[in-house]
Amino acid sequence: MSVTLLYVEDDREIGSVVAADLREREYAVRWLESGDGALEAAEGCQLAILDVMLPGLDGFTVGQRLKRAYPELPVLMLSARTSIDDKLQGLDFADDYLTKPFHPDELAARIEVLLRRSGAAAPAQLTLKHLVVIPGSSVVTEAATGREIMLTGKQFQIFSYLLRHLGQILTKEQIYEAVWGESYIEGDKTLMVHIRYLREKLELDPAAPEIIETVRGIGYRVRG
Amino acid sequence: MKGAGRFQLLHRSLLFRYLLIIVAALLFVPVVIPLTIAVYSIFAGATHTSPPKEYEQYSSIDKLEILWHEEARKLLGEPPADITKRLSALGEAYPLSRIFWVDPAGITQLVTEPSGPPLLLTGEAPAVPAQWSAAEAVSFMKDSAALKPLAIVAFIGDRAEAAEGFMVMQIPEDITETKYAAGLDKWYTIAMLVFFLLFITSSWFFFIMIRRRLLRLQTAMVFTGQEGLPQIVPPGKPDEIGRLEEAFNTMVTELKAGRAREAEEEALRKRLVADLSHDLRTPLTVIRSHLHVLGKEPLSPHGQSSLELMDQRIESLGILIENLLSYNLLNSGRIALHPERRDVLRLVRESAAAWYPVWEKEGYQIEIDLEGAPLYWEIDDSWFRRVLDNLFQNILRHARSGLYVGILTEIREGNRVIIISDHGGGLAQSTDSAGAGLGLSIVDLLLKRMDLEWSMESTAKGTEVVIWKRDAPNNLNKI
Repeated sequence: MSVTLLYVEDDREIGSVVAADLREREYAVRWLESGDGALEAAEGCQLAILDVMLPGLDGFTVGQRLKRAYPELPVLMLSARTSIDDKLQGLDFADDYLTKPFHPDELAARIEVLLRRSGAAAPAQLTLKHLVVIPGSSVVTEAATGREIMLTGKQFQIFSYLLRHLGQILTKEQIYEAVWGESYIEGDKTLMVHIRYLREKLELDPAAPEIIETVRGIGYRVRG
Repeated sequence: MKGAGRFQLLHRSLLFRYLLIIVAALLFVPVVIPLTIAVYSIFAGATHTSPPKEYEQYSSIDKLEILWHEEARKLLGEPPADITKRLSALGEAYPLSRIFWVDPAGITQLVTEPSGPPLLLTGEAPAVPAQWSAAEAVSFMKDSAALKPLAIVAFIGDRAEAAEGFMVMQIPEDITETKYAAGLDKWYTIAMLVFFLLFITSSWFFFIMIRRRLLRLQTAMVFTGQEGLPQIVPPGKPDEIGRLEEAFNTMVTELKAGRAREAEEEALRKRLVADLSHDLRTPLTVIRSHLHVLGKEPLSPHGQSSLELMDQRIESLGILIENLLSYNLLNSGRIALHPERRDVLRLVRESAAAWYPVWEKEGYQIEIDLEGAPLYWEIDDSWFRRVLDNLFQNILRHARSGLYVGILTEIREGNRVIIISDHGGGLAQSTDSAGAGLGLSIVDLLLKRMDLEWSMESTAKGTEVVIWKRDAPNNLNKI
């Protein structure tokens, strides 16, 4: 099943090249030249890419309406304005934001991250070094032996949070607050302890972790 | 007409009214007091008996004294009979007085009896002794000194050495009595007190009135309306304060117009910047997208590197446009910041996390040490991120030669600071230092708006940016 993207861009030159590039990356693209009909067109789409400056309804308004109609739909804003202007107008509703001139690869990367986060484009399974992970489920198996690794609730939550942000560095605070749902207090060792147990289960050599990488001074990362 | 107009102007003046009070106060002593006395005596005069007509010639004791001494001088060397004759004549001229004279031997020569009121109010005056002894002379002098009755004494010849005796004129007490003089009684005191109180209350009210109007004006200036401008005050009397109120209202109106004009200009500037941004970025996006398409065509390695270079330049241009236009908007001072108490270390960590993969890809050595207790500063979250982004971007674009990023926190001169350093060739060596300068100008603007201090030391060995909180309490004692 291919992923369908809603793309609203009034500039034909940009629109045609970007739409072509996205199609080349095996996305189905519904390209509109204005915000009219965006709500209807968004039906069945997994992500919306909106230009901020649109004729008629602007990108912010279209984006907010889309979010209201489809709260789960990730919205990526493309802007040709200065970030100050955009921030003033309020980008809170948008899931991501990219200023022009963007590199098509950058756009594709952002789309991928958003889709992964929303679970819309979850691959059936993910291979991480010696592990095979089925995203969205708690099943982690060792590729070579097929042995299933059992994770506790918190360990699974931490691991899936890291997987949802594959390739991204996450700070201790971000992980703690996402998993425990309360603010992190400096000096709290709970997360470190959980990560240590998690590594003992996942890593071939917990002393030299390959799956959950420590980024010194910042936090942790699981590379894709 | 002109005079009336001037008077009206004067009448409207607070100064005039104040002068009126001052003049009243000045007149109070030299004019009002005698005036009131005069007025009082006119009224009081109607209520008391005026002295009988024949008393008039005795009203001035001074005159009588001069006359008496004059007569005494004229009598020098005259025989006693002539003296007696002359004094008898004077006695007829001043019938109400008693006149007598005493010869050198101390024998009283003549005594005229007064035809009017007795010499003393309390009864008959002591008779003039026929023969004057020393004791009688002293007793007479004592009574005279006590004005009982009033006696004018002169030596014959007007000097004691003449040794021809002395002559005396005694005036009855009834004539010299003060009951005919205008006396001051309690009514006069009350009238003066009323005048005094009137003066005090009028000056008091004068100042109360001024004070009240000034306070009203002050209130109008202090309490600002919705637009942050003072309200127009209702116009009062057209005096100095009235004109001040008028001037104030004019100022407020002009301020409002100025604000409106400013807002209009600001909106225009924003629209211009937005249009400019759009018009510059759109073609760049098209070019970049086409470069990407072109990159998929079979190209020589030389062609590929050309494409990459073009792509990098477009990226730089995009950043330059962003900084240029952001600076323009920020510099107008119209961008609102929303400072909140935030843990800066956490923010720096999150921002560094976003940049980490980029540095990593370029092969930078990354050293991050932001451990320690949270560092709370009053900052605007998104603008502080913008500051960090600009600084990190500079490292990526201008410090490639050093391939090092250091982000740490430490205590310098008693302040906890954040240090961002690189080992690049310094900004002076950078190929487009102007672009970096613009980014740093934005850093400077934003940090200043958030009450943060920063310094940058850029040498050929690297650049170090230090950010700290202005006027940290433990900084105050530092010399």
